[in-house]
Amino acid sequence: MRFLPYILKHLRRNWVRTGSTILGMAVCIFLFCTLRTVLKAMDDARELGNVTRLVTRHSVSLVYNLPLSYEGQIAQVPGVKRVAISSWFGGSLPAKKESQDKSKEGQPDFSNFFTNLAVEDEPYFAMHPEFSVPPGEMQAFREDLRGCIIGRGLARQYGWKVGDNFFLESFIPPYRRREGPFEFVVRGIFDADKVREPAADDRVMYFHYKYLYESTGRRVGAGLYVVELEDPKQAATVARAIDARFENSEAETKSETEAAFRADFIAMIGNLALLLNSIGLAVIFTILLVTANTMSMAVRERRTEIAVLKTLGFSSRQVMGLILAEALTIGVLGGGLGLALSVAIIRGMTKVPGVSGFINGFPNFGLHWGVSSQGLGIALFLGLAAGFMPALVAYRSRITEMLRQV
Amino acid sequence: MSAEAVRQPAAAPIVDVRNVRKVYRRDAEQITVLDGINLQVPPGEFVALMGPSGSGKTTLLNLIAGIDRPTSGEVVVAGTDVGRLSESELARWRSHNVGFIFQFYNLIPVLTAQENVELPLLLTSLSKKERRERALTALKVVGLADRAGHYPRQLSGGQEQRVAIARAFVADPGVLVADEPTGDLDAKSAEEILALMESLNRDFGKTIVMVTHDPRAAERAHTQKHLEKGVLKA
Repeated sequence: MRFLPYILKHLRRNWVRTGSTILGMAVCIFLFCTLRTVLKAMDDARELGNVTRLVTRHSVSLVYNLPLSYEGQIAQVPGVKRVAISSWFGGSLPAKKESQDKSKEGQPDFSNFFTNLAVEDEPYFAMHPEFSVPPGEMQAFREDLRGCIIGRGLARQYGWKVGDNFFLESFIPPYRRREGPFEFVVRGIFDADKVREPAADDRVMYFHYKYLYESTGRRVGAGLYVVELEDPKQAATVARAIDARFENSEAETKSETEAAFRADFIAMIGNLALLLNSIGLAVIFTILLVTANTMSMAVRERRTEIAVLKTLGFSSRQVMGLILAEALTIGVLGGGLGLALSVAIIRGMTKVPGVSGFINGFPNFGLHWGVSSQGLGIALFLGLAAGFMPALVAYRSRITEMLRQV
Repeated sequence: MSAEAVRQPAAAPIVDVRNVRKVYRRDAEQITVLDGINLQVPPGEFVALMGPSGSGKTTLLNLIAGIDRPTSGEVVVAGTDVGRLSESELARWRSHNVGFIFQFYNLIPVLTAQENVELPLLLTSLSKKERRERALTALKVVGLADRAGHYPRQLSGGQEQRVAIARAFVADPGVLVADEPTGDLDAKSAEEILALMESLNRDFGKTIVMVTHDPRAAERAHTQKHLEKGVLKA
């Protein structure tokens, strides 16, 4: 500790260089932590899906709907308790009329995007006990075709309460209609029990599939079917039986557990894990070179000082320790700053319009201590690795040679 | 028997250089910088090493200071054969026994005068307060207590050298070695530095070995030794 003021003074010597190195390190750690957080959220999403429910979708792509006739056939498969249609509406709030950009007036405002699903209310909510809705509100919802039920988080986000109405416009062509956006009335607000179901999201809106079906001229099918199982152990058997039933039909199905469905959904983005990991590694390697360069320059500039320290009686090991400590300090400061940035950005992401809808789909999205520790560990490693060679040079250098080169 | 010969047996030399050779190798070429040097410096002596450039003065000084090793021969300083010490032992030995004064002061620019003087004390077990007090005392001795908080860039050359001298003796070493301490100073500052070194020798009993080109500086020493082509002349 007695050498700390000495180390800090040296770091302040060329504060622009030190500052930019620390900033570079911070950006590196920030990127690492943020990317790892996204990857972890995706991994969690894969693991946290409910095993008592299956999802049956079109085998080719989620883009294609399934025929409505499948519902009854799926219900007849042994081991199936309930079936419910669930279609992803993809609706956004229309731009406000007071918008300065008149050309966009009335167009969907995708910055206000959130998850909205058209469902068959009775079977859907029966098989999702993690959503609790006051019975009176549920009754009011069922009695109103334009009614919807929204999560507590969504209600908080938009300040909506029971009785409020709003409009949504889908970006999916079959779900758009000539008369304009769909009007909805908030009839109930549900709470999500995350203890019972960690993947439960309270920033979702549910409305009647019947409303979508009738408003679009009865031409749309089912986005997917959510299937409740009699026995979770029979998940694989039931999934195979459902898919076998529609084999060689015009619309073959793919049935899987909710967890697997989430994994497939995320995989549609591409090999995101590989992409994000590659970016992270590239950034870490770049910062290693930048920091190593900074430390090398700092040591080269201080050859005389190193010689003086050794002349005064500092051992080679102590001089090496001072340089490593300096590099480590850059790592600690950069890592700390990067973590702070990451915390701020990750918290901010959940509030940014457009991004929050995507983020909130992940359960427990946030910077975990494991990721933070990894980030800080990388910062320390980068500091040490960057300082090692210059420190070794200082360790090996002879006083007379260093003084002669002045 | 001369007076000097009588005095010698009474005080064993604090610096005892015995038949020292120093050879540098540059590719296949061997350059003999010091050849069979013998030098004994009694405690409390002030010796000036003189000679033309390339005569080996600084090399001899480096050997005495324990920052270089002889190719052959022995360098015994303060009772220790420095050639036999390991690198870490030598570093520890230097911190206790030798203070080095450079021609270009070599103060650490990011540290204040007081912090520069305090540097050698970081290697001791002294507390922060004790280190500060000692550094201030050393600065008082060199007449720069009022400049304790100044950085090297805020000091004149002479003042910087005085801070460097304070740094050299703050850990109370027995021997001070100075490599052209006035070589980068104007006449007035050089005079002040020499007076200070005389005072350290006279009042504090420090043994001083000083390399210099300047005959006026050498005159301040008790003894003058001349090196020519790596050989000590009488």
